[in-house]
Amino acid sequence: MKTRTLAYVCGALAALAPVGARAQAPILTPRDSARHALNRLAYGPRPGEVDRVAADGVMRWIDRQLSPRKIDDGPLAARERRFKILDYDSGELARIYVDAQRERRKQQRRQGDADRDSVGAQHAGPLPQRMDSSQERGRRLAGAFQELAVVRAVLSERQLYEVMVDFWTNHFNVFLAKGADRFLTPSYIEHTIRPRALGKFADLLIATAESPAMLFYLDNWESVAPGSKSPQAMRLRARPLFGARPMFGARPLFGARPMFGGPPLFDPRRDPMRADSLRRQALERAPKGINENYARELLELHTLGVDGGYTQQDVIQVARILTGWSVARPQQGGDFEFHDWAHDYGEKVVIGVTFPAGHGRDEGVRLLKLLANHPATMHHVSRRLCQRFVNDDPPDGCVDDAVTAWKRSDGDIREVLRAIFRSPDFWASENVRAKIKTPLEFVVSAARAVGGDPDTTPRLAQVVARLGEPLYLHVAPDGYPEREDAWVNSGALLDRMNAAVVLAAGRLPGVTVSLDSVVPATPDAEQLIAQANGAVLSGTMSENTKAVIRRQISDISDPVQARALAVGLAIGGPEFQRR
Amino acid sequence: MAISRRVFVKSGGLALFSLGLDPLFLARAALAVPPTAGPPDRRILVCLFQRGAVDGLNMIVPHGDPLYYRERPRIAVPESDVVDLDGHFGLHPRLAALKPWWENKSLAAIHAIGSPDSTRSHFDAQDYMESGTPGAKATPDGWLNRYCQHDREHQNTPFRAVAFGPQLPRILAGSAPSLAIDDLQAFGLRAPQPAARDRLTRAFEDLYAGSATGLLSTSSQEAFEAVQMLKQVTPGQYQPANGADYPRGRFGKAMMQIAHLIKADMGLQLAFADVTGWDTHVNQGSSEGQLAARLAELGQALGAFAQDLGERLRDVVVLTMSEFGRTVRENGNGGTDHGHATAMLVMGGPVNGGRMLGRWPGLDPADRFEGRDVAVTTDFRDLFAEILARHLGAKDLAAIFPGFAPDPARFPGAIKV
Repeated sequence: MKTRTLAYVCGALAALAPVGARAQAPILTPRDSARHALNRLAYGPRPGEVDRVAADGVMRWIDRQLSPRKIDDGPLAARERRFKILDYDSGELARIYVDAQRERRKQQRRQGDADRDSVGAQHAGPLPQRMDSSQERGRRLAGAFQELAVVRAVLSERQLYEVMVDFWTNHFNVFLAKGADRFLTPSYIEHTIRPRALGKFADLLIATAESPAMLFYLDNWESVAPGSKSPQAMRLRARPLFGARPMFGARPLFGARPMFGGPPLFDPRRDPMRADSLRRQALERAPKGINENYARELLELHTLGVDGGYTQQDVIQVARILTGWSVARPQQGGDFEFHDWAHDYGEKVVIGVTFPAGHGRDEGVRLLKLLANHPATMHHVSRRLCQRFVNDDPPDGCVDDAVTAWKRSDGDIREVLRAIFRSPDFWASENVRAKIKTPLEFVVSAARAVGGDPDTTPRLAQVVARLGEPLYLHVAPDGYPEREDAWVNSGALLDRMNAAVVLAAGRLPGVTVSLDSVVPATPDAEQLIAQANGAVLSGTMSENTKAVIRRQISDISDPVQARALAVGLAIGGPEFQRR
Repeated sequence: MAISRRVFVKSGGLALFSLGLDPLFLARAALAVPPTAGPPDRRILVCLFQRGAVDGLNMIVPHGDPLYYRERPRIAVPESDVVDLDGHFGLHPRLAALKPWWENKSLAAIHAIGSPDSTRSHFDAQDYMESGTPGAKATPDGWLNRYCQHDREHQNTPFRAVAFGPQLPRILAGSAPSLAIDDLQAFGLRAPQPAARDRLTRAFEDLYAGSATGLLSTSSQEAFEAVQMLKQVTPGQYQPANGADYPRGRFGKAMMQIAHLIKADMGLQLAFADVTGWDTHVNQGSSEGQLAARLAELGQALGAFAQDLGERLRDVVVLTMSEFGRTVRENGNGGTDHGHATAMLVMGGPVNGGRMLGRWPGLDPADRFEGRDVAVTTDFRDLFAEILARHLGAKDLAAIFPGFAPDPARFPGAIKV
């Protein structure tokens, strides 16, 4: 049985991967290949999984992972139904957050009144802010949404799919805490990223360009052709002024000072100054020209890459093409809307390609398609994929293989990935265990190793955040970094060790750990070490690690305590930080 | 002295240019300032971020300007309450604790400072202030981290750059090692008893010493060294000196722990902490009220910190910053909305204190930014660059603030030369 499997895997590898030309690496054993694939295409192996994949054939497992819809994921679907946030659309989420904000303002007003009442009283600090139910609700929903990503990563059978969702979430990064993105992000992940994570790159690119979350995050929703006026601004301008023109030095007879303290109910006739001021504010706030933010990141990060051969002029031209790509009422969770009044209908030239005058939204779609399959984009995105799956400094060989597949398949992400996984570089021994886990990868792989089962409380996501990767909260548009120097530092390592100890001891609330079936407690030290090695490190524990664990558990008489320490050291130790 | 130096740079600079010398050399020559405080490796910078955009006009009050009172009928600080500084500006009464440091010339304030970018989004403006690249969103690291990357001479300690808080802020993000410490007492391996903690620490130390490679190996060494160093410090038993009285709460505790690390001589060079609660859209109050309560905490913490450090303040500069200021005119809710320029405080022994820095553009509507906000007359990078150069001895400012040409002629003069 075993030899037959081995022959199959070697045969599969030989048939699918043109070994020899570039890689002279020794052929990995079936278990080595299975472990490597589970560490790269998945968030690490669950108990017994390395053997199952090895027995089944690693290339067959990879092919199955590339067709996630054919993989049954029933248990995860049942778990997802317990996340209420999936029941709300952006509009409903927006209302929840607006309620919360209104509550907060009301509270501030009350607090302000309280402070005024106690003039002369000494406050040592700010008055404690009580959270009311709607504020609490908003915060809970954000936490639940982060936890959902962790739960999917831990439990899903469609592991490669979840890895790719994380990859695109960072490639097309948005920031959950920027204004309307608080309630636009969930729909962005669910309806923009997830359905297209293994489809055509062009479709994904266009979907992100039209997503309210991205339009808001990188300000394109306020990018308008200079001199254009929104229908709303025209209406405001047409209305007569209520109060005296606020000239310098002149003060109207009845001004903004309320007669009876406290803000009056707003009535433009009784408070004409305020009506004017609100109007002025609305007019001032109205966007006045193009905003290049999205255009720049579109070229630099999403498509061509920083060395992709474009200029500042191209950025401006792209911004002009995308004027009018906006959001209908972002503060209410509105949808994509093209504003023809804001669009620049002139001629543009981007990286040498002319976009003739007179076109509207269609020229934006044409531009995105042009960018999606530009050679620089193929190279840039392929390189990022190889950085994720192969090495922080990806070898040219696998990038070339990915680009070839991109050209052949018209940017089909599945085919590009398939080419990477068949590239000799992917299997080369110098690239095995060459990647350091991100905090998300560390926490999820640890939970999987000990058969952890997270509930819907945000505990695991909080651990990921504490280790430095709060989900959907990377401020800059470049997404969480892929390189090890961003994640390995002294404070972060200590945090990982602490998290490992807590998880192994089953002391992490919100996660059920079933160590008994994975590493049964035993007074036999050698057996315990062997079990921990198999479960946590799939047999790759170093002699030093074994010796340290042996020494540490030698005087612990309680087998359950000894087991917790052994597993904690294995997860917190150096071997488990790599994948 | 400062003037003659500038004259040299200007006139001499032209001559050197004609000799074909690198302009960076000029900047270096001008910035190479002899130490006035302790040796450079003992100098410390503490950055405090007032998140939410502090109302600079009620923090450092332009009480000599009638427009200030006209535009803020409900929230202006009455002239009788203002702690006067120079006849025109004064401290908010709840910052009165800082007046002695102004008197002894170790506190300066700068008004009309801010970003060349006009954004009024907290998110974008904080991002720009921390990345040090206004208008450029894709900058991966923060300017304090870039300083660490470029000046590596005195960094052989894990405590060189420490942010007090649960997460590393954007300003310290980047490839140079820096620590986020939520609480000094909880730093390191956690276990219920000290003996168990020591044992766990040793176990992990052995694991990493024997099996780690590459970056895992060097970083873990630093980590255990830091834990060792902190063990001698016993943060739980810290007693502030000179009767310093820190305010209760997160910020006061952060300032106390910064003082503790400074006095413990662990090689701290950069410290960072957040002070939150400045987004006063509604009922911000005047001499009393919400903003006053926040300022009281800030003032008490800064005063306690300076008092606690005593002699050591000689080597320390504390800088406050905030993403933008607030509207000149109060709004309909007795608060202020997002504006443009704001005010910052610079405090410490090396500070050229007892003066207002920068150029005051006035509050006349014609002089305001977009007709409503205090205009920016000092790019925040000019102040940050000056402090890095003249206080910490940074040499390559162009690498720390890419896309910006730091010019000593534009430095606001916050640091003694």
